[in-house]
Amino acid sequence: MFTPVLDSLIILTVLAPLVGVAAQRIKAVKFLGAYTSVGFLFAILNLYWLYGEVHASKVLVFRLTALPGSCLVVDMLSIFMGLVFLLLGLMASIFSIRYMEHDTGLPEYFTLVLAMITGMVGTVFAGDFFTLFLFWELMCISSYVLVAFRKQTWEPVEAGFKYLIMSVSGSVLILMAIALLYGMTGTVNLAVLSGRLGGVELTPAAERWVYFALVLVITGFGIKASIVPLHTWLPDAHPAAPTPISALLSGVVIKTGVYALCRISFLIFPLIHFHWGILIGVISVLTMTVGNIMALLQNDIKRILAYSSISQIGYILIGVAVGTQLGLTGAILHVFNHALMKGAAFLCAGAFIHAVGTRMLDELSGIGRRMPLSTIALCITFFGLIGIPPLSGFISKLILFEAASAGMVWLTIAGIINTAISTGYYLRFINIIIRHESSERVTVAKEAPVTMLAPIFIMALLIILFGIWVQPILGFAQEAAASLLNLKAYISAVGGGL
Amino acid sequence: MIAVNIVLGFAIVLVILGFYCISVKRNMIKMIIGIEVMTNGAILSLVSFASYKNGFVDPLVHSLAVMAIAVGGCIAAVALSLVVHAYKHYKTLDIRELRRLRW
Repeated sequence: MFTPVLDSLIILTVLAPLVGVAAQRIKAVKFLGAYTSVGFLFAILNLYWLYGEVHASKVLVFRLTALPGSCLVVDMLSIFMGLVFLLLGLMASIFSIRYMEHDTGLPEYFTLVLAMITGMVGTVFAGDFFTLFLFWELMCISSYVLVAFRKQTWEPVEAGFKYLIMSVSGSVLILMAIALLYGMTGTVNLAVLSGRLGGVELTPAAERWVYFALVLVITGFGIKASIVPLHTWLPDAHPAAPTPISALLSGVVIKTGVYALCRISFLIFPLIHFHWGILIGVISVLTMTVGNIMALLQNDIKRILAYSSISQIGYILIGVAVGTQLGLTGAILHVFNHALMKGAAFLCAGAFIHAVGTRMLDELSGIGRRMPLSTIALCITFFGLIGIPPLSGFISKLILFEAASAGMVWLTIAGIINTAISTGYYLRFINIIIRHESSERVTVAKEAPVTMLAPIFIMALLIILFGIWVQPILGFAQEAAASLLNLKAYISAVGGGL
Repeated sequence: MIAVNIVLGFAIVLVILGFYCISVKRNMIKMIIGIEVMTNGAILSLVSFASYKNGFVDPLVHSLAVMAIAVGGCIAAVALSLVVHAYKHYKTLDIRELRRLRW
């Protein structure tokens, strides 16, 4: 029907409530976390098989005969993003086994996590707007409920309501853009839209409507990707969510917005006709600067990490603004690296919160001496986020700044200045944590349990590994960037049978 | 058959009205009605393009419109449950009271 990856994820999502209720009957609710983790592992194996198929023939198309015109199109970029999503979902669900053990409603939690990852993988596999919209909304609605999961306290409810209102506005703008693009060309299939709008000479009146649709796409997906004037939901929603969900939100959900923005913009509004590069460049500088400066003012550890996520989206948009193969390689590689680094940072913060019960940075002073392993992993992730050499964050930032210097030098200068500003809050965080004198709350802290430490250490090891042995992941990112820019292969693979 | 321009114009007016509701109204339930109106405006624009010829209907786009209506219903359900929990914590439906999350 669909690809094996998406099929297995959908079946896992539908069976999860049944498995959850059965696990509650036999009083072994931790089994549900194991079920989710094994499910993600199985999906990663299916993805590896699909990677082999896509490597042979560059673009794969899966059609549903029931809906004429709708299809799933899988190319290298889709596989890359799918790998990021499934890897982070696996780590978050292993972490959730111990972290969420005192919460009620765990069957709903794991079902929603599975539904959110299914929605994300479906979005990156979508070949037309129908499939994209449906899986996008599946991801969005699951994330609204997951942010407001601990509804007994006021903070998740307030943050969840704010996030819902802003994100639904974004979805409505996306739907208006779909309607306009359909009205202009007569199709919702991405490849056919690209063929009809991409190379054609447009009358000035028609061109105005196309620019309007482009602005709607950037705004609609930008609300989810948290670009700067539209980012205000993120610093409230990410701290208020349970920590594994914060890791997922920062690590992968905002990247889905960036992916959809890139895919639609590069396919339907090619950079040579519609010069949106400068617009995304200005947005990127604004995003980086506001994210970094606001992070310097925070005292809540999860809020610092949330503002840091906003600034890292700014770095990713540098690569998108430049639009060359090198820039897109840097952007895609930074998506992967940031997902690993920010996911691990949020999980470390979750280990601290689980041990001590507070999120305030001043009350956590000295906790590094009592929880050395989590702190070592946290330091590795922060040095990666700053971009210090033998770690993977350095590689992607270097490629981004190098790509920007070939045409938009102001982006490189802004990026370097923002990296310098960001060291301010990362190093302050580490400094407060590794002090010798502990605050009173910290004296009861013990090291995190193994199920929580294992995903943190796996991700930290991957950050070090991909900083030293760059070639596999860099080659993968280069192929993904090439497939994003290769419109001919995309259109000819889909257009054959339409 | 009503011309596409007129229906599209009405749809854009609905979206703007819905956006006004979200921005200006204080009652949380009125804000949810605002997002429903906005969603309906976007779906109306989709339907107006899909059925502009006499007797012709594009099946895929109409399916998208029906699914978007279903999604709008789910969103209203989630939003209303959030409003119920917010009322339990804040004892009011005024959105301006939900301001504990600042800088």
